Amino acid sequence: MADIILTGDTSGAITVAAPAVAGTNTLTLPASTGTMITSATAAADVPKPTALSTASGSAPSYSARAWVNFNGTGTVAIRASGNVSSITDNGTGDYTANFATAMADANYASVCNSSRSDTNNAQGNNHTSTAVPATGSIRVIAQITTTASAQDQAYFMLAIFR
Amino acid sequence: MNKRIVYTNDDGTVAVIVPADECGLTVEQIAAKDVPTGKEYHIVDAADIPTDRTFRDAWTWE
Repeated sequence: MADIILTGDTSGAITVAAPAVAGTNTLTLPASTGTMITSATAAADVPKPTALSTASGSAPSYSARAWVNFNGTGTVAIRASGNVSSITDNGTGDYTANFATAMADANYASVCNSSRSDTNNAQGNNHTSTAVPATGSIRVIAQITTTASAQDQAYFMLAIFR
Repeated sequence: MNKRIVYTNDDGTVAVIVPADECGLTVEQIAAKDVPTGKEYHIVDAADIPTDRTFRDAWTWE
């Protein structure tokens, strides 16, 4: 086995210490040239993965920056959410998702879906034409496409990608 | 969070803000952030909001 050489900078010390518990612990270095970070004090020090661990192929992965699942009928309530501080019930089938942390800009993509409560007419979900997406919120509406009338939905799901 | 934040829009319709439990903010912090600037708002119990939404767009707040 080759020697392991630890070289310090102009000051300080480098310590490799075993934990105070029994067992074998292995410190595995990268197989190719690279850096293994075991701690980071700033977000900029953390390597940015280009793909989710479950992704296949070489296309980059982008995770949702905000998402929410809520009931838009009866007592309107959020079932679960991420980076959403609240939803605003603006009226029938008309909701605004407010982000806990704003997006970097308003050029994000939204994906929304809802349950279909009207069995006779097609339904769609859109962000409203009168309120363009903003960095801190997006207003969405569930409507019957043939009549353009809004309709409350028991399940409304929204995700934001940027 | 069984609270709601209510305010009146410029067109007279009523907006009801539903806080997200998982966001880590208090209802007061959410009100400060998500109610449009300058709007008077009220924090109420969720039970105070009608569940019959048949005439939702005709709701008023007094």
